[in-house]
Amino acid sequence: MSVLATPIVDWSAMWKICVVALTAGAGVVVAFGFLLLGLQLANGARAGGFRLGGYALSAVCGVLCLGVIVVGVYAMTKKPKSKPAKPKAAALVIPAGPPVKLLASSRGS
Amino acid sequence: MGSTLILVIVILAAVSFDFTNGFHDTANAMATSIATGALKPVVAVVLSAALNFLGAFISISVATTIAKGIVPASATAGADGLSVVEAALIGAMTWNLITWYFTIPSSSSHALIGGLIGASIASVGSSAVSVHGIVQKVVAPGILAIFVCGIVAFLATSAAYMLIRHLGQEEARRGYRYGQIGSASLVSLAHGTNDAQKTMGVVALALISTGHLSATHFAVPFWVKIICATAMALGTASGGWRIINTMGNRITAVESPQGFAAESASAATILASSYYGYPLSTTQVVSGGVMGAGLGRLGGVVHWPVVGQMVLAWVITLPAAGLVGAAAWDIANIFGRHSEVGAIVIAALAAAGGLGLWTLSKRNRVTARDLDRTNVTPEQEAERALAASPVLA
Repeated sequence: MSVLATPIVDWSAMWKICVVALTAGAGVVVAFGFLLLGLQLANGARAGGFRLGGYALSAVCGVLCLGVIVVGVYAMTKKPKSKPAKPKAAALVIPAGPPVKLLASSRGS
Repeated sequence: MGSTLILVIVILAAVSFDFTNGFHDTANAMATSIATGALKPVVAVVLSAALNFLGAFISISVATTIAKGIVPASATAGADGLSVVEAALIGAMTWNLITWYFTIPSSSSHALIGGLIGASIASVGSSAVSVHGIVQKVVAPGILAIFVCGIVAFLATSAAYMLIRHLGQEEARRGYRYGQIGSASLVSLAHGTNDAQKTMGVVALALISTGHLSATHFAVPFWVKIICATAMALGTASGGWRIINTMGNRITAVESPQGFAAESASAATILASSYYGYPLSTTQVVSGGVMGAGLGRLGGVVHWPVVGQMVLAWVITLPAAGLVGAAAWDIANIFGRHSEVGAIVIAALAAAGGLGLWTLSKRNRVTARDLDRTNVTPEQEAERALAASPVLA
């Protein structure tokens, strides 16, 4: 029964994934859009101030985009942030007995 | 001797599965970049192959989980366990080739799980399978993956087109094409760390179960890393144009801002899900991203019949790969348990089947040249997207 008591969806992890995916996924698209906007402003500007402002906007957004990539690569090297496999977790193949007990349990495969 | 021969066959099967995984999943990273002309098809797959190769060396956590966390080493000890693993790999590989032939993106990981379940049932009976576990680990994440990435891609695309109103259309589309190279590269790297390591884990597991590797002082041998990374990279570099065509062109007409949004949303979702220990299928995440990006553009159209075919394939991936895995185990078992003859026979049958599908695929080939859009100007790209839209056309 302990197997059946395991929730089907880990809503805690799911919620975190949604927040991070939305922040990074949509955020980087918006930041990249502002990067392009800044470049366009800078290229089209006649006054030095506007040109500098455009480049500054592009630079800040470029750093943000690069930051997201760096965090992404960091996440790859550190994954998975999951609990170690426990026999009580839900299994695909129940370790019912010999000779073969495949896919016994885990989170974060 | 028998056990050693079966071990060699299992390693060959694992490497072959890795190869099919590579060309099956190239589309996940590169389809939209190719569809928008951000990259030439050959350049895209070579870049993806290099990043997949690199990604395989970034971490060994996935390989460790598979070798020590999912399948207990004691469970696959000896030739009997190896036969189950070989049958599972054959089930997964065969399903990958069938879906490739029918140009349908499907999850290689789910195919592998399906193969393991089928071979396990054939080996020890249906009591070995936990339906709850399957729903928790495969079905629920599969459904959630599509919606999570789809919603993120939808919002990202909407935001991108809001910004484009303040930008020149041509500059925006050209700019986002450059952005796509970066986002697609990140997806490729993430794919390498996930999928190449899955096979490393299977090979390491086989080595542990035959006593060639210590379970207590576990480390993936360098030669295992090299062969798995190389197989994945070669598979990726070989193209997989049929599935790239489906993912990049048949689900929706993709413009570069949509492609960038789909890939960024996919990369963020895949990495976040891996980091928080709730792995989602890369294929389903990316498919959801492409659909969300398709709907996020005003007048954007998603071709639901194509999506319907994909969903059907996702639903039957587990049972279909399982059936093939079970059949492979049963055929091998005809020659007796632990029989190297059986192991050779099912490997030969799988190879023949793969060759047959490859020959059949030549009738309606999709080539890199068919998909090359690098000469399409941003204006032509906009016209193509407009023509595909019943609202704005």
